[in-house]
Amino acid sequence: MANRVLSLLIVCQVLYSTIAFGSVLDIEKEDEEFSEELLLKPLPDRKVLAHFHFQSTAPPSTSFGRHHHLFPKPISQLVKKFRVKEMELSFTQGRWRYEQWGGFDPISSNNAKPPGVELWAVFDVPQSQVDASWKNLTHALSGLFCASINFLESSTTYSSPELAFRPDLGNLRYGTLPREAVCTENLTPWLKLLPCRDKAGLSALMDRPSIYRGFYHSQRLHLTLTGSGLEELDSGIVLEQTLTVVLQPSSWRTGKSYVDKAHSQPSWSISSIFGRKVGGKCVLAKSSNVYLQFEKGLVGELKNLQKENANPETNKLASKVFLSNLSFDLSVNPDKVFEEVDDFHSKSTSILYEFSVEKYNGSHPLDLGLTWKIPVVWSCQQAPLHASRFLMGSGNERGAIAIYLRSTELSEGLKKSDIVDQSCELRVNVFQVVPWYIKVYYHTLQVFVNQQSRAVADIMEKIHVSPSKDKTSPGVMELILKFPCGLESAALNLEFDKGFLHIDEYPPDANQGFDIPAAVISYPDFHASMHFSEDGSLDKSPMFSKFQEKSLVLSYTEILLVPLTTPDFSMPYNVITITCTVFALYFGSLLNVLQKRVGEEERFLKNNAGRKTGRLSQLLSKFSTKLRGKPREPQPSTAVSSSFVSFKLILKILLVAGIAICWQYYFG
Amino acid sequence: MADKNPQEAAASPESMRTTEPGLKRLFLTLSVLFSFILGFPFLWKSVEIYRSEISLMETNPSLSFPFHFQALFFNFNPDLNPHHLKLSILDQITKLTSDSPPQCGTNNNLTTLSVTLHSNKSHCTHDTNFYPCGANAISAVDFDSADEDVDELLSSVFRGKNIYTVAVVNGGGDGIRVVVGKYRHAWIVGGFDFEEEEDLASRVAEIFVKVFVNGGRDQGLIHGEFMPVGADGRIVLSFNLLNAEPNDWVYDWDFQRIDESVLAPIMEVLGPIANISVESQVLYHTPKSSFSYWDEKQNSYIFNTKDLPFFVNSNEWHLDTSIAAGGRSKILQFVVYVPSAKECPLRLQLPNGEISKTNGFISPMWGGAIVLNPRSCLKDFESKQPQRHIMSPEDLQEVFEVFLGQFRQLFGLKSDNIYVGESGTFHLLPSERGFTEWELDVLSRQHTCFNLHSCVTTLESLSRLVQSLPRMIIMDEIGKQVQLSLEAAKLAQSNASQGVYESSAVSSRQARSLAEDAFFHPSIMSVSYYSFEHCFAVYSPFFLPVLMHVLLAAVREWRRYKKEKAKYLAWKKIK
Repeated sequence: MANRVLSLLIVCQVLYSTIAFGSVLDIEKEDEEFSEELLLKPLPDRKVLAHFHFQSTAPPSTSFGRHHHLFPKPISQLVKKFRVKEMELSFTQGRWRYEQWGGFDPISSNNAKPPGVELWAVFDVPQSQVDASWKNLTHALSGLFCASINFLESSTTYSSPELAFRPDLGNLRYGTLPREAVCTENLTPWLKLLPCRDKAGLSALMDRPSIYRGFYHSQRLHLTLTGSGLEELDSGIVLEQTLTVVLQPSSWRTGKSYVDKAHSQPSWSISSIFGRKVGGKCVLAKSSNVYLQFEKGLVGELKNLQKENANPETNKLASKVFLSNLSFDLSVNPDKVFEEVDDFHSKSTSILYEFSVEKYNGSHPLDLGLTWKIPVVWSCQQAPLHASRFLMGSGNERGAIAIYLRSTELSEGLKKSDIVDQSCELRVNVFQVVPWYIKVYYHTLQVFVNQQSRAVADIMEKIHVSPSKDKTSPGVMELILKFPCGLESAALNLEFDKGFLHIDEYPPDANQGFDIPAAVISYPDFHASMHFSEDGSLDKSPMFSKFQEKSLVLSYTEILLVPLTTPDFSMPYNVITITCTVFALYFGSLLNVLQKRVGEEERFLKNNAGRKTGRLSQLLSKFSTKLRGKPREPQPSTAVSSSFVSFKLILKILLVAGIAICWQYYFG
Repeated sequence: MADKNPQEAAASPESMRTTEPGLKRLFLTLSVLFSFILGFPFLWKSVEIYRSEISLMETNPSLSFPFHFQALFFNFNPDLNPHHLKLSILDQITKLTSDSPPQCGTNNNLTTLSVTLHSNKSHCTHDTNFYPCGANAISAVDFDSADEDVDELLSSVFRGKNIYTVAVVNGGGDGIRVVVGKYRHAWIVGGFDFEEEEDLASRVAEIFVKVFVNGGRDQGLIHGEFMPVGADGRIVLSFNLLNAEPNDWVYDWDFQRIDESVLAPIMEVLGPIANISVESQVLYHTPKSSFSYWDEKQNSYIFNTKDLPFFVNSNEWHLDTSIAAGGRSKILQFVVYVPSAKECPLRLQLPNGEISKTNGFISPMWGGAIVLNPRSCLKDFESKQPQRHIMSPEDLQEVFEVFLGQFRQLFGLKSDNIYVGESGTFHLLPSERGFTEWELDVLSRQHTCFNLHSCVTTLESLSRLVQSLPRMIIMDEIGKQVQLSLEAAKLAQSNASQGVYESSAVSSRQARSLAEDAFFHPSIMSVSYYSFEHCFAVYSPFFLPVLMHVLLAAVREWRRYKKEKAKYLAWKKIK
């Protein structure tokens, strides 16, 4: 017995000592770290996705926000000053094509962003101070990134979602600027936060003209506080900077063997899409890798093609490692190959090639190239529903917003597999912010399922609406919808009136129209995550550990452009001038009347008639007779002529008035 | 017709009239005209822009601080007259202060001086003074011991008093040795002849004026009006370690330790002058933007003082700390530049051809930079990974000693401990906390001066701005802030003349920040776009036609009245 107790004690001690030792080591070892990764992925529509992922981490320390070695000091100061718990800022140009580029993988659900600027932040401050913190944060970010993020300061532009947009985060504020133009002046400050900026490493690939020539460009900054967060000293930061670009490879080494040009994938290399090569890693990076991913659909298609072409022995070999040279060529041999571990048990899984940049340097750069030998056609994995949004109605008075959800292959698959299960349902969250001058009538919400009108209560699980207040807050609508699995299409319809703005509130380009920010459609029952081989070597990679996290599948709809009635901006001046003229006329005639002497003037006229008329009037009458082509008549007496003239005059005025009325009637 | 009476003919309506012309219409038109003209001031008043009264009295920024000096003479001939000595010292002080800048100077009316003469242990003469004879007398023997001990001893005698003391000890060595202590004391030890009274007085006066009053600074090094303190009384010291080419070698430092051991005491000492915070970062890929050339003789790469303006590469060096500092804090950048292997030992050549010992330079109001050469400039071409170094504590100590010197220079103080005056060299005892007490006195006086000066210049430029833009709206708040600022400035002046340094510094800071508040008030940006041209364009469609009517009517009516009156008069004459 005593022996047993002793041994237990020893075990405990050993355990304790190892734990203590471990913690000491941890404290000493933990340092600021930086890593860089690039993921390349061919897309079905002959384009290439390049996804840069840079991650800087700062461990919890007492000198947080004051002394830094690798981590960008401005960011940590920002976090410390405004007590930001989590924040995401994205600058995007172009629209993510969910149908062609996929909607169910971690990249599309994390990095597909609405055009313009999107910012959301969670604060670790009391409820009453959140708005003030948000305002200060927008100003600080605006200075840091050379963008007009400070326009998000106004309470009409941001909202605090509760249900449908990241509901578990607490003091969240969300704002978008759909019309913000994104260009290099935003990229440069973003690059400044990297220790190597674009001087070395993977970021040196970012050749501005080739990046901005792309179809989609989204630069994102996401930071989270790690650690318990209870005490200020106890939290580190993880700063994740990603740049996602979709580029069109120029027809590099045009394929001779291709017959069908439309289906042929273009061959590309890093130097052909970026115009530069990877000349070594950033020396400060802990890891620096380039990955090439072939997604599920493509791998499946390639396997099919191989089955057709090759004999079964080679096929067996190829399916194991997938280094087939039959359908494509890689210019560089990969260091490692990973295969996705799939929960769905589908027939094919995506494949990942790893290229470590460590081996390469300036004289021996990495130029990864992919050459297709045979045409391949495949499609990307889709989100359960495809969402689009459009405007209905015409005129400047009222209209309607419609959100249209259409089923994709995935939900069709669901429908088939779960058809036995009667209680199968598809949950959809909709988060929609509408500016105050679009006065949405929330009671007009209509739901159509499979083109048939349904009662809203049947579909709705939860709804949270905060109506807009004029000039103070935007309207926010958050819906949690519950659709049956056999859904083919669904439509939500909301009517609105267009409001009037004060003349000062119109932007300089008022006639262009006003933007309604993108709605966020998310599917709470679906999570996108990617797990690669079990050996765990990819776990160290920050990008793939990010991909492994279950991220909510969400998609953004289009931005709507609503034309509002624009006033004639010169109107105030016109009013002033017209009123003044009328007043002047009135004054003038009043004075004239007041000083007029009727008797004297008549006498004067009589005298004038008796006298010889002036030379000028003689000349005038001669001229008029010549025009009329009649012999000159002796001048009639003045009294007769005056009455005659006045009659003629009235006739003329009547004629002009008649023409004006007709004109107004027919052409006005 | 021929037989018509000429009189009657003349009485025709063209030339004559029988009745007096009526005044009714003339009166009407004229009254309309006058009411119109009378209405103009009202209109003018209605389109006037609100401008608060800004009372900008002519402020005189000159400050005068009172100084209390005492001179102690030991082992001197009892025949020496303390009063005579005092007069000659005062005379010298006046002479020396007369050529110093007028502001922030001594005021001779407020300067007090006491002279005590210890001829030997028994005999002592003094005039009205702070250190009377016999009270804890200091024997001359004390001055033979080490400087630090003497300093401590003197400070224990005069602790807590705001008096600058110079002790002159006769005897001892051959030469004359002048030491200025860490507190408010200095002493002169040497053999003096009795005829050298004048010389003695000038020495004592020089210590008083050049060291204790002016802080021993060289004229023209940094203009005394500038203090690197923000308007909110804050300084942010931003330390940056720049690795020009991390592919060659990467240097890192343990800044946390330096912050605690070296910088914290300095921050504490400077507390009354400014609220200092420290931050640091390490940056990479930060080449300098000036050129350097290889010098065989020095066996190193050389950059000249001429290149210094281009040394700081503001494109690549992202030194800004705008978020933490915010507001109107002053940021001082301190940069350690680690050159790349291509330019490895990199040295600064002074204009006289020598190599700078510190290998660094300062830029007033910006900060300082040091070039830190790695111990070995050979790059290890074999290894792919760059060499990683953590700066050794010795290196750091060295670097921060230079930084401290630069920091002192940025404040306008001397970075070495020798002052060469007209009457020989003075040894200045350095303080372990960076700044000695008399230097802090100088700084706080200078700070007060600087604040008041910048307050006055800000208000002056505000008034110039206000005068130059007559259509600018000025809110009451601005007027109030200006008022308060002026009051605070006045308070600072009066406090300064009473010798209360702290409260004078506080109110001067307040004056400056209020002045800046007024100048940067958001409403001052709302220059009214309702300009005079605009006003004219809006009102002219009304006033021009109406005025034309009114004027024409008045003129016509007036002319007609004159004509008719003449006719009537003509008729009257004939009649």
